[in-house]
Amino acid sequence: MSRVTNGLAAMSAMAALLAGCGYDETPLPEEPEAAPSSAPAASTCTPSDSDFASYEPSDEITGKVAEIESRGRLIVGVSADTYLMASENPDEGNRIEGFDIEFAKAIGRAIFGSDFETGRNLELRVITAADRIPLLEEEAVDLVIRNFTINCARWEQIAFSQVYYAATQKVLVSRSLDDGDEGNGEYQDPSDLAGLRVCAPTGSTSLDNIKEAEEEAIIEPAANHTGCLVKFQRGEVDAITGDDTVLAGLAAQDPYAVVPEQAPLNDEPYGIGANKDDTELVAFVNGVLESMRENDQWQPIYTRWLKSALNGADAVQPPPTLPYR
Amino acid sequence: MSQSAAAPPPPATPAAQPAPAPQAPPNAKPKRSWAAPTGKPVGVGVENTPTLLNRLQVIGMAAVLLFGLASGLVQFLSYQSDGRAADDTEQLVRVQEIQSNLLRVDAIATNLAVSGGNLDPAEIASRDEEYDQALDDVLGEIASAAEAQPADEKALAALNVAVNDYATAIAEARANLRQGYPVGKEYLSGASANLRADALPILTNLVDANTERAEDSMGGQHPIWLLLIGLASVAVLVWISILLAGRFRRYVNVGIAVAMIVVVVTTIVAAIAAWRADSQNDDLLAGELRMAVDQAAVRTAGNDAKANESLRLVNRGSGPRYEDPWIAAAEIVEEKGDRIVLDEWRSYANAHASIVKYDDEDRRGPAIQIATGAENAPGGQNSTAAFDAFDGVVKGLVQENGATVSEELRAGRSLALVGSLLTVLLGCASAIAVARGIGARRKEYA
Repeated sequence: MSRVTNGLAAMSAMAALLAGCGYDETPLPEEPEAAPSSAPAASTCTPSDSDFASYEPSDEITGKVAEIESRGRLIVGVSADTYLMASENPDEGNRIEGFDIEFAKAIGRAIFGSDFETGRNLELRVITAADRIPLLEEEAVDLVIRNFTINCARWEQIAFSQVYYAATQKVLVSRSLDDGDEGNGEYQDPSDLAGLRVCAPTGSTSLDNIKEAEEEAIIEPAANHTGCLVKFQRGEVDAITGDDTVLAGLAAQDPYAVVPEQAPLNDEPYGIGANKDDTELVAFVNGVLESMRENDQWQPIYTRWLKSALNGADAVQPPPTLPYR
Repeated sequence: MSQSAAAPPPPATPAAQPAPAPQAPPNAKPKRSWAAPTGKPVGVGVENTPTLLNRLQVIGMAAVLLFGLASGLVQFLSYQSDGRAADDTEQLVRVQEIQSNLLRVDAIATNLAVSGGNLDPAEIASRDEEYDQALDDVLGEIASAAEAQPADEKALAALNVAVNDYATAIAEARANLRQGYPVGKEYLSGASANLRADALPILTNLVDANTERAEDSMGGQHPIWLLLIGLASVAVLVWISILLAGRFRRYVNVGIAVAMIVVVVTTIVAAIAAWRADSQNDDLLAGELRMAVDQAAVRTAGNDAKANESLRLVNRGSGPRYEDPWIAAAEIVEEKGDRIVLDEWRSYANAHASIVKYDDEDRRGPAIQIATGAENAPGGQNSTAAFDAFDGVVKGLVQENGATVSEELRAGRSLALVGSLLTVLLGCASAIAVARGIGARRKEYA
C-alpha cells in the first residue's frame, strides 16, 4: 500500500514539475508618467491701469446681443463649486447661486425684459478655470462670469467688461499657522511660504503671482480651488492662494482653514469675459453694470453674499476706468 | 502456455562455438535472421541467446513500464489541468465580478449624490444600505480571490488599497454634501476618477492574467502525446517480436502480443477520452466561458455608464465631459450584450436619452427626477429602476455561465484520474506479460 502511495506521490511531484511550479505573478500597472504642466502662453504686453478700461456702456440690443435675444437663451460659463460666488444649493433643488450668478441674471433680465425666466432664458454652463478662455474663443458660451481677473495678456485673447468686483489675492492656511504663536511658523507674508506646498488652479493668475512672490514655494496645482481644498484637507498641500472671495468660500467649508489678516498679494479686478469680437455684447454688459450702480443694486448683492464672509469689510462697486476703449 | 509446450530442445553446442559453415552456393541468398519455423534458434553467431533474451526482456519491460508511466502521467496532467482550469475560470469570473461590482458601487454612490436629500428618508436609508452592502461584497470578493490564487495576491493587495481610498473619498464626499458644501462634489468626482485611474487598470491586468491562465489550462488535454507514447511502445514491442521470431521458430510470442494489445487498447481509449475532453473544453471556451466573460464586461461597462450619467448630473453643466464615456461604455454593451440583456439595456438607454435631453436644456429638475426614479418624473420614467433590471439580468447570466464552466470541467476529472491509475497498472501488467513471454523463450532455449 505504501508503495502505491509513494508512487502516486512521485507521479504528482513529476506532474507538478512538468506543469510548472505555479503561475507568474499578476503584474501591477505601470505608473503613468506625470503630464507636463502647461505654462500659460508668454505675453509681451505691459500691464497698466488702462487694462481695466472696457467699451463704453450701451443699452442697444444689436449684434451679438440681438442674436442672443432671438435665440432666447443667454449662455454663461460659471463655476458651480465656488462657495458664495457660484455654487449649487442642495436646499433649493441644486440651483446655482452666488455673487457671480446675480450678474448673469441681471444681464439676462436686461436682454429679455420682463419675460425673463432663469430656467428658460439663462443657461449656466459649469466650466473650469482652465476652460474660460478656450470656450470664449470657440464661442461655446456667450459670457464667462467666473472670478475672472482682467489683465493685458488676456485682453490679447478675449474682451472684458469693466471691473465689477475688486478682489485681491490672499493666502489660506491651516488654523495652526494663525494661532498667535510666532514660534510655530505663523503666516504673515508670502516669504513664510518658502518650502511649503501651495495650491492654486492650473492656468490662473494666482499661480503666476505666488511664483513671483516666493520662488521657494512649492507649487501644487489643481483643476480648481475646490480641488485645492481637497488637497489641503488631505494634507497634500499646506496653503491655498487665490482671490479673497474664493478663499472665504473655502474657509467656510472647513473649520480648520483660515485666511489670516495679511496684506494682499495682488489686486484681482474681476471682469465679465466675452469673445474678443463681441464688442456690442461687452458694451451692453457695461451698460447693465452702470444701471446696477444707478439703481443701487450692487451693494445688496455684495452684502448678501460676501460681506460677512469677508469679515464685514465694506466695499463699493468699482467705478469704470476711463477713458473707455 | 503454448510456448512451453512447443519449446525446442537445447542446442548441442553453445552458440558461441559455431560449427563450420557449409560452403554457400554462388547464387544463394544471404541468410536472414528469422528463417523460422525450424524449432531452433537461428542467427547463431550474432549474439549469445540468453544475453539477447535478457536484453530484450529488459528493453520490453522498460518500454511498457515507461508507456504506463508516461501515458498515465499525461492523463494525470490532464486531470490536474482540468482542475486548474476549473479554478482559473472561477477566479476569472470572480475578478470580473469584482470589476463589475466595483463600478456598481460607484454607480450607487454617484446616484446617491444626485438624489441628495430629495428622496424619502427610508429610500435614502435603503440606498445607503445597498451601497454599504455592495462595498462589503467587493472587499469580501477581493479577500476570497487573494486566497484562491496566490499569483494574484500582490495585485489584489494593491486593489484593496485603491478600493479603501475610494471608500474614504466617498465618505468624505457624503459628509460634505450633507452639509451642502461644494467640496463634496470634488471628493465624489475625484473618487470616481481615481477609481478608474488606479483600480480599473489593476483589474484589467487581473482579468487578462486569469483569462490567459484559464485558456492555457483548458488546453491541457494531449491526445497526440498519448498516441505517440503508445506508438513508440508498440514499435519497441514489434521490434522485439521480430528479433525473437528471428531467433526462435515462432512468429508470435504470446506474452509480447498480449502486452501489445494492452498498449494499443489503452492508447486508443486514453486518446479518445483526451480528444473528447479537449473538444468539450474547446466548446466551453467558445461557449459558456466566452458568454460569462463577455456578459461580465457588459455589466462592467453598463455600471460605468450609469455612474457617468450620475456624475454629469452631480457636476452640473459638465454633460459632454461625462457623455463621451457613457457612449463608449454603451457601445461595449451593444457589441457584446446578449439579446435578453440588450432588451433591458435599451429600456434604460431610453431613460438616459431623456435625462440628456433635459440636462442639455438645463432643465435639471426633470433630469434628476428620471435619474433617481422620483414619483413625479416625466412620463413615469425611472432610469435607476431600468438600470437595476439590466444589472440583475446580466449578473444572473454571468453567474449561470461561470458556474456551468467550472461544473463541467470538474465533472469529467475523476475519470481522467482513474484512467491514469489504470494505465500505470496496465503498464505493469504488460511488463509482466513481456517478462513471461520472453521467459518462455528462455525455457525453450534451456
